[in-house]
Amino acid sequence: MATRNRTILFRNYRDALKSVRAPTFDGITPSTTSSSHGVELTATSLLHPSTRRYAPLSTEDTAASSKGAVEVGLPPAWVDLSEEVASNIQHARSKMAELGKAHAKALMPSFGDGKEDQRQIEALTYEITDLIKRSEKRLQRLSAAGASEDSNVRKNVQRSLATDLQSLSVELRKKQSAYLKRLKQQKEGPDGVDFEMNINGGKSQELDDDLDEPIFNEQRLARIKKNEAFTVEREREIQQVVESVNELAQIMKDLSVLVIDQGTIIDRIDYNIQNVASSVGQGLKQLQKAEKTQKKGGMARCATVLIIMCFVMLFLLILKEMLF
Amino acid sequence: MVLVTLVRDYINRMLQDISGMKVLILDSQTVSIVSVVYSQSDLLKKEVFLVELMDSISKSKESMSHLKAVYFLRPTSENIQLLRRQLANPRFGEYHLFFSNILKDTQIHILADSDEHEAVQQVQEFYADFVAVDPCHFTLNIFSNHLYMLPVAMDPSNLQHYCDRIVDGISAVFLALKRRPIIRYQRTSDIAKRIAQESGKLMYQQESGLFDFRRAEISPLLLVLDRRDDPVTPLLNQWTYQAMVHELLGIQDNKVDLRTIGSIPKDQQEVVLSSEQDAFFKANMYENFGDIGMNIKKMVDEFQQIAKSNQNIQTVEDMAKFVDNYPEYRKMHGNVSKHVTLVTEMSKIVEERKLMLVSQTEQELACNGGQGAAFEAVTNLLNNDNVSDIDRLRLVMLYALRYEKESPVQLMQLFNKLAAKSAKYKPGLVQFLLKQAGVDKRTGDLYGNRDLLNIARNMARGLKGVENVYTQHQPLLFQTMESISKGRLRDVDYPYVGNHYQQARPQDVVIFIVGGTTYEEARSVALLNSTNSGIRFILGGTAILNSKRFLKDLEEAHRQIRSSSTGV
Repeated sequence: MATRNRTILFRNYRDALKSVRAPTFDGITPSTTSSSHGVELTATSLLHPSTRRYAPLSTEDTAASSKGAVEVGLPPAWVDLSEEVASNIQHARSKMAELGKAHAKALMPSFGDGKEDQRQIEALTYEITDLIKRSEKRLQRLSAAGASEDSNVRKNVQRSLATDLQSLSVELRKKQSAYLKRLKQQKEGPDGVDFEMNINGGKSQELDDDLDEPIFNEQRLARIKKNEAFTVEREREIQQVVESVNELAQIMKDLSVLVIDQGTIIDRIDYNIQNVASSVGQGLKQLQKAEKTQKKGGMARCATVLIIMCFVMLFLLILKEMLF
Repeated sequence: MVLVTLVRDYINRMLQDISGMKVLILDSQTVSIVSVVYSQSDLLKKEVFLVELMDSISKSKESMSHLKAVYFLRPTSENIQLLRRQLANPRFGEYHLFFSNILKDTQIHILADSDEHEAVQQVQEFYADFVAVDPCHFTLNIFSNHLYMLPVAMDPSNLQHYCDRIVDGISAVFLALKRRPIIRYQRTSDIAKRIAQESGKLMYQQESGLFDFRRAEISPLLLVLDRRDDPVTPLLNQWTYQAMVHELLGIQDNKVDLRTIGSIPKDQQEVVLSSEQDAFFKANMYENFGDIGMNIKKMVDEFQQIAKSNQNIQTVEDMAKFVDNYPEYRKMHGNVSKHVTLVTEMSKIVEERKLMLVSQTEQELACNGGQGAAFEAVTNLLNNDNVSDIDRLRLVMLYALRYEKESPVQLMQLFNKLAAKSAKYKPGLVQFLLKQAGVDKRTGDLYGNRDLLNIARNMARGLKGVENVYTQHQPLLFQTMESISKGRLRDVDYPYVGNHYQQARPQDVVIFIVGGTTYEEARSVALLNSTNSGIRFILGGTAILNSKRFLKDLEEAHRQIRSSSTGV
């Protein structure tokens, strides 16, 4: 993979030509860096307008001034939107890493009741889902009608963000369902059996020593109650996770409209270029048609108005003849 | 490293160092170069949000200073002129110029002169100047591909242009590989000689610094061949998947256009057939038609199973699983319907044109002797009304190439019959082919009947029998590659350029066929490479031929030569 960098030669030529072109202004010409573009541009257009060579002076001036204005001004408003979505995605990704850690921690056997972990997981999941939902809403606002270059750029930005968002939501869903599965396993697995046995054992023991040890019995009852509360809690959690899975599925459905299927013709660069060219052509045709119909409509209206006026005048004329 | 990865790496390097939103600007040639190896979603990942053609970008005036422009162009004078105008009125924030080949100093000068706003950030040469359709197969997609058949004096400026483009393409391949080759060419072909010598001059004299990679290893070999040395391969009907699709439907830059066939659903009107993106195609592109049918059936069965399991969704888990697998399911769905459509269309054509029958005779003509029987078979097929005109023409051409000298009377009979049967037949076309690619012009032993060894080999094959009548033909290229790997390519037939000779067996061989390659040849290259013989072959050509394209080129050259001779 050989390459050859010709930038230095190009720069040398450019500098040499510049010094040839404007020898008298050498002292004033500001040293240029790529970042101070706009300033440099306006400066040159003010200082040596006579050095422009390739176009008539008038058009060059307007072009330069408009260019300068844009350079100083901000990029279009949708860039803010796209940046916001991008930063949201970034944010969600870091949260996702945290969530992974929290899941791992919650699944580990621990002495505490794990409430703290649960709460954290809930909060994180909620946050991420919210971020994804918000980003998706923003994304819808990015779309633009028409077939100009700008709208193409917007469409593509939207697509790329949608792809990111989709992969993010898929990741989240996978994480959640894995967690869910593990959680269920834990519930049904050794824990669950243990729990059943406890109850059964408790019952048989209850029958055996009915009134012998009421205190012990109460203790056991308390444990059973606690276990019940625990299951209810888990049930609720599972419900929540399922809900958020469904929500994400909905978002995914919305996004899939935007995302490109890889390996298909839509993913081909040349196909897209052709398509854009043809759609631009079609747009132009439609526009011309619209113009034509509009003109026609205007003419027709004009004619009808005139005819009506004629009748009114005629009526007035007749009235005038009859009355006077 | 193979060609596809080379070009991909070039594009990656182009885009990765430039941060922020970018617009990629290509010309009509680089579009193909980029499209076959890179996809729209890859570009989006690199924050390229707009892809435009050079001519359409110069029409629009909308200022987009928030975008950085990345140009990837061939260094042609038209491109330089367009670029000059665009640099005079910059629309984008930054300009990064990449050229696919060696820039002339004057061109850099022109660009530097027009860059008054100092918008250009870098000027680079990235040598991705070939369309890498498969890992070891590239094409240059030259539009007027008939030029190689014309005599030098007829259209010198266009011919020079044609040669320049080829030399550019070849040198780009070697620059991408970072090697300087030993160059050999086919003795009987003027154009092959010219291209070999011009490439040699470029690599060893004009740009010897650029091509000096200071490598101690054995130099690779560049062999320049002429299509006319093997006119048989592009005339045959093909029965392996990729070659067959190209022969019957036509592949352009790994795309198949099905719009002309009609009654195709909208999303299948144009499909992609790329070994890089489609695992099924990669596994089956060199299989023959019968096996393809079986494999497609297997794929459809698999797909149905998945589809069935997707139908009974009862629990939330099922649903979650379905949603998880949905993108893959959809991808598979598209893939299955694509291949089914292609195979259905092709079997329709095979049925319509009686290609089984025609192809059997074609293969006999190409591979086995027996002039009397061949004459009879061709006559029968000419009389058969179901055989299409193009197949008749091909049969007569194959017959003429094979039995050029043996019985002129019977050949004349066939010519007359062809003229009577086919209304569109242009008289003299077969004779023109003989004049261009007849036995006197050929270097290689096309039919294996020149020396005793080959005759013996042919007889042995005849005794052994062949397993498939339709795919028994081996392109001449296969023999050439065998002789290269055995070090037996004769110096008399394939002389060296300059005084750079081959010392040892080369490890990389680039074979360039002026006039175009075929997918059948690409297949034998790929199969040979997969045997790990220690040599890697890369095949390239000015275009990828099917019989239609080959005949079109032939007709065009014939027409031009006739009109010029009557004009003078």
